[in-house]
This record gives sequence, C-alpha cells and structure tokens, in this order.
Amino acid sequence: MPLPVGGGDAVTAVAFPGARRRTRGGRLLSAVMPGAPQLLVGRFGAGLTALLVWVGLLAVLVLRWDRVWAAVRVSSGASLDDRVALVTLVAGLAAAWVWSFRDAGKVQELRWVGVSQWVLAGRAFSRNRLAVLGAVGILILYLVALLAPFLSPYDPSALGDLLTERLVPPSTAHLLGTDHFARDVLSRVLYGARISLSIGFVAIGISVTIGTLLGAVAGFFGSWVDTVLMRIVDMVIAFPQLVLLITVIALFQPSIFLIIAVLGLTQWTGTTRLVRGEVLSLREREFIQAAGALGFSRARIIFFHLVPNVLGPVIVAATLGIGNTIVLEASLSFLGLGVQPPTPSWGTMVADGRSLMLQAWWLSTFPGLAIVFTVLAFNLVGDGLRDALDPRLRR
Amino acid sequence: MMTTRARIVLGLTVVAAACGRDYADGGAAAVGVETFCADVAPHVDAFMARMEQEHSVTDSARYGGTVVVASIGDMVDGMNHFVSSDYTASQNQQFVNLMSLIRYDASIQPQPYLAESWEVDDPTHPSTITFHLRRDVYWHDGVRTDANDVAFTYRVVTDPETAYPNAAFWDHYVGGAEGIEVVDSFTVRVRLSPHAEYLDPWTGVSIMPRHLLEGVPVSQLKQHPYGTQCPVGNGPFVFVEHRPQESWTFKTNPAFPTDLGGRPYVDRYVYRVIPEQATLLTDLLTENIDVYLAPRADQVPEIIRSEDLDLLRSVSRSYTLVAWNARRPQLADARVRRAMTLGTNRHEIVEAQLRGYGVVANSGVPPFHWAYDPTLADSVRYDPAEARRLLEEAGWIDRDGDGVRENAEGAPLAFTLKYNQGNQYRQDIAEIMQAQLGQIGVKVQPQVMEFGTMIAQLSGEERDFDATVVGWVTEFKLDDVDLFHSSRIDQPYAFSGTRNAQMDRLLDTLQLVVDRQAAIPLWKEYQQLLLREQPYTYFYFPERLNGINKRVRGVTMDARGEWVNIKDWWIPRDKRRAVQRAAAR
Amino acid sequence: MTRYLIRRTVLAIPLVLGIATLLFFVINLAPGDPTQLMINPSMRAEVVEQMRANFGLDQSLPVRYTKWLTAFVRGDLGYSYSYNQPVSQVIAQILPNTLLLSGAALVVAFVVGVLIGIVQAVRQYSLLDQALSFVALFFYSMPSFWLALMMILVFALFARNVWDWPIYFPPSGTRSVDFAQLGTWDQIVDRARYMVLPVTSLALVLAAGIARYTRSSMLEVVRQDYVRTARAKGLRERTVILKHALRNALIPVITLFGLYLPVLFSGTVFIEYVFGWPGMGKTIIDAISLRDYPVVMGTSVIFACMVVVGNLIADVLYAVVDPRIRYE
Repeated sequence: MPLPVGGGDAVTAVAFPGARRRTRGGRLLSAVMPGAPQLLVGRFGAGLTALLVWVGLLAVLVLRWDRVWAAVRVSSGASLDDRVALVTLVAGLAAAWVWSFRDAGKVQELRWVGVSQWVLAGRAFSRNRLAVLGAVGILILYLVALLAPFLSPYDPSALGDLLTERLVPPSTAHLLGTDHFARDVLSRVLYGARISLSIGFVAIGISVTIGTLLGAVAGFFGSWVDTVLMRIVDMVIAFPQLVLLITVIALFQPSIFLIIAVLGLTQWTGTTRLVRGEVLSLREREFIQAAGALGFSRARIIFFHLVPNVLGPVIVAATLGIGNTIVLEASLSFLGLGVQPPTPSWGTMVADGRSLMLQAWWLSTFPGLAIVFTVLAFNLVGDGLRDALDPRLRR
Repeated sequence: MMTTRARIVLGLTVVAAACGRDYADGGAAAVGVETFCADVAPHVDAFMARMEQEHSVTDSARYGGTVVVASIGDMVDGMNHFVSSDYTASQNQQFVNLMSLIRYDASIQPQPYLAESWEVDDPTHPSTITFHLRRDVYWHDGVRTDANDVAFTYRVVTDPETAYPNAAFWDHYVGGAEGIEVVDSFTVRVRLSPHAEYLDPWTGVSIMPRHLLEGVPVSQLKQHPYGTQCPVGNGPFVFVEHRPQESWTFKTNPAFPTDLGGRPYVDRYVYRVIPEQATLLTDLLTENIDVYLAPRADQVPEIIRSEDLDLLRSVSRSYTLVAWNARRPQLADARVRRAMTLGTNRHEIVEAQLRGYGVVANSGVPPFHWAYDPTLADSVRYDPAEARRLLEEAGWIDRDGDGVRENAEGAPLAFTLKYNQGNQYRQDIAEIMQAQLGQIGVKVQPQVMEFGTMIAQLSGEERDFDATVVGWVTEFKLDDVDLFHSSRIDQPYAFSGTRNAQMDRLLDTLQLVVDRQAAIPLWKEYQQLLLREQPYTYFYFPERLNGINKRVRGVTMDARGEWVNIKDWWIPRDKRRAVQRAAAR
Repeated sequence: MTRYLIRRTVLAIPLVLGIATLLFFVINLAPGDPTQLMINPSMRAEVVEQMRANFGLDQSLPVRYTKWLTAFVRGDLGYSYSYNQPVSQVIAQILPNTLLLSGAALVVAFVVGVLIGIVQAVRQYSLLDQALSFVALFFYSMPSFWLALMMILVFALFARNVWDWPIYFPPSGTRSVDFAQLGTWDQIVDRARYMVLPVTSLALVLAAGIARYTRSSMLEVVRQDYVRTARAKGLRERTVILKHALRNALIPVITLFGLYLPVLFSGTVFIEYVFGWPGMGKTIIDAISLRDYPVVMGTSVIFACMVVVGNLIADVLYAVVDPRIRYE
C-alpha cells in the first residue's frame, strides 16, 4: 500500500510542522467552545460536528428550559420519552466537551506502520467529504429523534381547532404548517424521525443477523446444508414480496411491530448470499485452516474467526439497507399498509398528504424531504464505507 | 362506500344442479361462448353503419367530440346487468349501454322509458302491472327489443341461481315464468302482492338481450364474455372497447329513438380508470379528462379556483356511520350508544373534513327523500355534558381517576374502532372520535383493517369487532330490514345486533304500505326510534362532488346519478380535441 | 451450455411449485373470501352459500389445493373471480403493458447508469464524481410514488398551465382517447408521449443503482495490471478506458440486467398506480384485496418464473461476456 503523503485534506494537515503547537494551545479554547481548536487546525469535519452538537444542545437547554426542567423533576410525571431525551441531552453535551478537550490536548501523530485495516478504512472514509457529510447528517438525525420531546413546538398527536386551524400554510406559529387535523407538521416530522429511524434500524438489525448467520453456516458447512439453505434463499427471493407483505398485514392487525418484523424477515436474502460468498473464500484461507487444526469448535470458528472477517461488506449492506427500508416503509404507506395513524411516520405523512399536493403542498413535501435526506445520508455513508473498507476501491 | 366495492362471484366449477338450465323457449339457438364476440361484432358494425347513414348528423355545432369521465375504480362487473353490483357499472348500464322499462325524473317520479306506458290494475292494492313497450328500440346488432327480452330478464333476475345482487327487490313479486306473461310482442304483464314503492325495481333493472344470452346456464352468466368483452345493449351508447383497469370506450348510437331525444350529442364517451386522486386532479387541470368523479373535499378549492372548471354538487344516497356491536357488554345499553353520538361533534366533522359539503345524518333516510323528517335534523347535537350525564346514569363512572370510566365491576369503558384502509374520511372519523370521546372518559382505540379482513370480521359469526366505521348506499326504495330486524340477527348484515319489538313491527309494516302519505308518519316514527336506539351513530350524507371541464355543456348530475343525462352532454365545436375538430370539418 | 440450461430449468420446476404451494396456503389463510366482499344486504345468505359451493370454496383447503395444482400442471390457471375471464386472458392483456414500461425503463436506466458510473470511476473523488453521486442518490432516495407525483406536477401540470412550456406530457394513461383516429406515425408519437413520464420516473431510481455498480466495478478494473500496461504502452486514456477497462468492468453490470427483471415486475406497482398504467403490480394488489385467488396465484407464479428466468439470463450473460466462465 503506497503511503498517502500530501494532499490538503484533514488528516494529513496535522502532520505538518506547527500543527502540534496549535493543537496544544487549544485545550483552554476547547473547554469553552468544544470543536473550535479542531476547526482552527483545519479538521473541519470533526470540529464542526463537535461545535454544532455543543451549540445546538446548549440552545435546546436554554430555549426549552421549562421542558428540560420538567423532565428533571422526579415528581413531574415525565414520560419515558422525556427521560430519554434528557439523558441524550446531557450525554451529548458531555461527549462533545470531553472529546474535544482530550483531543485538543492529544499530540496528533500519524502512524503508518502496524495500523489495522479498520484504521486505514477510517482514514479513507474521512477523506470522502460526501460520506462525512452523510455521517454528520445521521448523527444529527438521531439527536433530533431522541430529543423530539424537547424540540417539537406542539404535541404531535393533539388535534387542533378543526374549524380554524386546519391546513394552515407555514407561518410563524406553525413553521411547517398544519395538517387536516390541525396538527403541527413540524412536530410530527420531528417525532416521525423516531419511527422511521427505528423501523430502518431494527428491521435491518433483524435481517442482517439472520442473513449473516445463515450465510456463514451455509458457507462454512457446505454440502447439503449449503444446498438446502440456498434453495430456501432462492425461494424467498422468487416469492413476490408485495404479496407476502400484504397478506401478512391482512392476516394480523397492522402495527409498527408487525411492519418491522415483516420488513426484517423478508430482506435477509441479500446478506446471506453475500456472507456465504465471502465465507466460501475465507474457508480455504490459512488462518481458518489453522483454527480447525487447533481443534476449535465450529461455533467458535464461525463466530470468532469467520464473522468478524466478513463484517466489512455486511456493514456496508446494512447501512444501505437502512435507507432502503425507510423508503420501503413509505411505499407501504402509499398502499395504506404502513405505520398506522395517529403514529406519525414520514411515510404515512407523505402518503396521506399526496392527494393534496396542490392545495397543501407542505403536508407531503416536508416529510418527503425528510425521507430523501435521511436515506441520502445513509446511502452516502454506505457508499463511503464501501469505498473505504474495500482495499481495491481505496485511493 | 361498501356497496361500490361489492361484487358477486359465481362458481367456476358448475354444480350439477346448476347445469343445463336455460331459458330457451323455442327462440334462436344460443351463440357459442368461445366465438361469441367474433360472431356478434360484424352484426353490430353492419347495423351501426346502416343507421349512421339513415340518421346522419346535420348539426355539427352540437354533435361530435369525445367526452372523458374518470374515477379511481374500474367497472369490474361490466355491462352484464344480471351479475353486477357496483355503482358505476349499474349507472353505465342504466344510462349508457342499456335501458330500463321506466326511469325517475329529477323529482324521483317514475317516467316512461323503454316502456311507453303502463297500467296497474288497482293503484291502492296492485296485483298486476301491464307494461307497453316502445316499438322503435333496437339492440345494437339490429334485433328489435321486445316483450320476450323483458320476460327473459325477469325470469333470470328472479331465479335464485343467478344470484342477482338486488334479489330483495323482487321479494313481493311472483318470481319465475309464472310471474310474467307476454301478452303480445310489445306488452308484458307481471304479478305481485301489494307493497311499498312497487314500481321502484323497474327503474333499476336494465333489460338484457334474450337472443344473445338465453342459452347460457344462469350460473355461468358471470363468466360469459358478454359482460366485459362485447356487450350488446340497446341504450344511447354502443360498446366499442374495454381495456381492463384502463378504460371503457362507447360510441354514439344513431338508432336511438328520436322520441327519446335521438342519438347522443357526443360521438364517443370514454370512462377511464385512474387509481390515484392526485393524478386525477392533474388530469382534470390539464384537460386530459373532462370529468373527475368524486374528488376529495379538500381538493375542491383547486377546482373552484380554476377558470376552466366547474364544481357540480349533488345530493347523495350514501351515508357514513359507526356501527356499534351491541352484543358487547359495554355497548349493549342504548344510553351508552347515545352518549357516544352526543359526545362526537358531527357538525364539526362535516364542516372540517367535508368542508361543509354534506349534512349530518340521523338515520339512513336521505334528506332529499320524501320519507325524511327534517324536524329531527338537529335532535342530537354535540353535547358532552349530556353525554357524561347519560354515561353516569348507565353506571359508567371514572372510579380510579385514570380518566377512563369504569362500571361497577371495574371494567373500563373502552372499545376498538375498526375502519378499512385507504379511506381517508373513515380514518378521520376514527381519529376524531378517539380524541373527542376521550374527553368524556371513553377510551377509543382506532384500528385500521384490510378491507376483506374487516368485512369477514363484521359479517362473520364471531362478530369480531366492537365498533366500525362503514358506509351504505341506499336505493330510492328504503329497506333496513336486513340491518335491524331481529329475524335477521344472524344474517351477515346485522352488524349491531340490536333487538327491538317496535323496530320489527315498523320495518315489517313499512315494506307493505303502498300509499306514500300513509307511510310518512310511520317513517317518522321509525326515524325517532333510531334516535333512541342508536344501533348506529349516523355521521353524514356527503354531497357528491364532481369536477368538470366547462367545455362540456348541458351536464346534469343529481340524486339519480352522474350519468343520468350523458346523452345530452355536448361540446362546442371549437372546444373539441384537435383530432375531433379535424374530423368535423 | 444447452445441457446446463436444461438442468437449470429442470431444477427450477420444484422451486416454482414450492412457491406456488406456499403461496396458495398463505393467501387462503387471510380472512375473508370473495363472496364476503359482495357486501349487499339485498343478497340472501342462501345465495351466497350457493355461490361458495359453486366456487368450491366450501371444500377443504387440501382438496382445493389438489384441484388447483392438477389444473396448473396442465397449464390451466383457472378463472378469475373479478375479471370474469380466464386468468391467462387477464394476464395476456396486462403483461404487455408491464413489459413495455419495464423494458423501456430498463434500457434507459442502463444507458444512463453505465455512463454516470464510468464518469464517476474515471474521476473518482473529483467534484464531478461527488456531484453525480449526490444527484443520483438523491433520486434513489425518493419513494418512487413521490418522485412520480413530482414528475407529474412539474412536467404535466406546471409545464402546461403555469410555465407554458412548448413540451409537456400527459399525466396518466397509456394513449390518448382518440388514439384510434390517429395515423400510424401519430400513434407512435402518441404512445411515446404517454410513456415519457412513467419511464423516466422508473429509470431514474434504477439508474442510481446501476451507476453505483458500474463505478465500483470500473474502479476495480482500472487498478489492474493490464490497464496499467495499456497506459504504459502510451495508449490514449480514452482508448484505455473505453476499449480495455470498460469491457471487463461491464461483466458484473450485465448480470444485473437479469437480476433486475423481477424487481421491475413488482417494483413498478407504485408507478402503475400514480400514472394510471394498467400493469401486473396493480393487478396483484387488487386481486389480493378482492380475494381473487386464481389471479393472485397466476400472477405470482409468473413472477416466480421471471425471477428464475432472470437469474438464468444473468448466468448465461456472464458466460457470454466472460470467456473464463464455462458451464457444464
């Protein structure tokens, strides 16, 4: 691997003489304004993120002090949502501050010898501006989702005055307007982040777990196990997914858990094929042969030797998969099979508002944009990871 | 509405009993099913070509052009009247492709149509009706429509094997061949026992061609290519083409009787299926279609704003309601059901969700109907205080302070409210009820269901629901026997399962009173009883809203339907589509 | 090769049968049946019962399954409850629409996607690469029904009514209502006009995936020794990329062609709904909600067959373009 010398990007910048001096003096600055010292030495990605998190969370703390205080008081009857938001707020502030403080004091050094593939990949990733942008976007999304109770101006499911406040265009009172129940669209978009992100995350968690396990087992054992599992995979792929989704949703009563389960249980085939392929080639490698020769149990070989080595492509597939799942949920909503009201999910909001695109464009446009940018962020990160994790694609 | 999605299904495998029965009474041999369309088409083309010459158009200012009507649903059952139950299809049979013996005028009075006159032996106690048919009506293949067609139609629709969807129309008629007598080629006489609105069935039943269908076993009519591939009617429009899920195309019938207005003004009428409402509105705004049937109320401002479009409003025969399953202990008490109605602001829902295009309903009697009692219109206004009082009187009190009422045994006043997916209005009602009833201490859990699943649960023996938002479409002849009569309590449509002797007596009597004036007090009593019993919380009769391009002139839409005068729609020559303008020159 | 094809086809038979079996029981498990959907109080319960009997719905599931299977093996897909036609006839009317839409979209998507992918790979990490990535992923990230609606608003409504563009497209349908009166050339133009928006909507989403695939495939290839050798020989960059690298980079991309067939088949459902385009996706969904079991079964089996065929095409293409691969 050739040394990545030169280039004006973030990581190499600190290797220049003088960078050290400036970072060392940054500790004091970082105590007041985390992220600033990193920004000063040109590490825009990390610095800006820390700064944004710090300033953003402080702003929430100050501007929404009443709600934060209500969540702090034990007797206030705050809900679990509020408590989670509180913890996120405190943890986010602490993390930004501590990271920046320690980072600013650390002597930045570049070690080129003996670094792991993961470190190399990390460096490759951080040079990809779009991917970093995506990663920052995802971070912000999760913060927004967790902090929704503090951020949202109104209760997302409280009906407003149907006669006067229905379908009001964006205004200062309702930044993104109101829907046909006179509910605040901004609040619903904020709360919707939780639903859409959870669906994507949990469903893909399920499918990746199943896919990795089955793929590893099929690849490792080979022979009839492989044949049977792969025929099952063929069958699931050839099974019309929409028919399955609709029938299952007709069989059981639609709920968010059902949607997650269905989405998770139908998407694992890609991962299985991917992992199987990787394992088939890994199986012949010396370190696996050695593990076998040492008498390790098959489970140990699969979980400790094979699975860690296929994680790269799996992580890429999972990241891309989260985006796809969020889009899929929206598509299900179009058919009326998505997350059911009054739970605010972006997919349902877009689908419900679509027939009023001309009369009340804000109904479906804002949640629609939320979907696009979220999925975009996951895809950018996924593509960045793919480039970074695959030595053949790395620059 | 439910019935617009309803459809009948006949057997694939024909059971022995159903086989071999036909109505061939010495007439022409039945056409083979496989070659049916190919056999029929040349006759239609030849006859139409001849008629086009005989009745050529002189006035191209009015005659000509293509009108396009679009809506979200296909006419799945096509033009075969024997087996079709969806609203759009029956409208197109009645007013486009086929003819009924009589039809209603705008004030819902029977008028001559295919029958030029009729006599009833005793108007106060009718036992026979004699219809005299027009002699100038031809099937589109050139065969004259006569009394044998009427007799054939009558025998088929009264045959249980046919599974004619409106079989209950004929409950008080003498079914089968004994019930109808062909007096001469253009005169038929039917036998009946006296009952209310006895002429009504004849406005709804479209006469079908005997010479084409009489050899077909009735249980196989549904599968016959006639319905969706090559219908041959006798109405003002001739079938041209059907593309499944896409469109139906009809052309003008030059042979349509001059006394009935002669050929339609437009050359062609196309019915298009566009399943997406946002697209439908765009199609209307870009003149891709001329009529958008039933837009959402919230889309109406856009139609009004456009200079090229008009909004046509008409009263409807459909209503939306919440059916309470009175078999459930928490809903068994009429006071509780009444409290639900009082605790729901139905006026607000009409004003907001329907934008005022509708009226609050208190029974299934539509406001335009002669039996409607206007004095009851405001009798259960939104009154949460009264609702709370009723619930307390019935023993539902919030005993543990959690905001939900409990009875003496501690069971909470809670229920799930099911509605079918894909219907925004019903979803709205469910969510608003949840919010508003929550304020009077009733816990409502809205639950969306796939349509087929929900219907199975509502009409199945288990009655697996507490309450449900559904809709009905009424006919002009009102009949709630299947909904509320205790003798039907195990039948599929007795959703609420209430029993009331007074209700039974009224329902029985109402079906038999011939004189409208005598029936009015009874209908009033019935509507008052519904207010007390509250088997349903009636929500509203929505207005029928239709967006229409102003280039189409002379359109009437009212309680009878959207297609009622399609024959008289016309498009000024300079407003026709380019191709049509070229053709007119 | 022929033997390989025969073997694969034979192996696919149990697969399709297995899917059909599974599907039969799954859709019959869903509550409700076609007669219950006929919700009309005027219909007597006895009549409904008679209809169910006529239909064979009163028989037990295994009996019905056996009947369906024997008919299916003989090539009889049964009779649709809701179209009043043989299922094969229904499919024959609908399938061409789907193939036309998907086929056109597939071609457009491959041309655009491969082009974008090559540019991206050649200029990896450049501003152009990143801009193209962003734009391609932007469309890829949209729910397809939403993208379709946006297309209609912009290119059908605003283009005509607001901006007065010389060119605008009809929002829905497959042809104009006066199609039959047009001359041959006008008919072709007419159909093309109606295809522009749905094909573009579908192709935009697909192209992003293909671009991504082409890009990584190209990136791998351009790092290989023979490409380096070609460059070292002093060949022009253009020749190196287009003649030497591209041919090998396209191998995995071409296999996508086969794999995308089934995706197109069911993935078009949203496009079909929004553009009022009568196709297979919408047919399946409507059939499920109407409990039209024969149509669901028929269309699904066709879908399964297309997956199998798609996979087979992918494998065969692989062998055709890559001489290193030989199937026995």
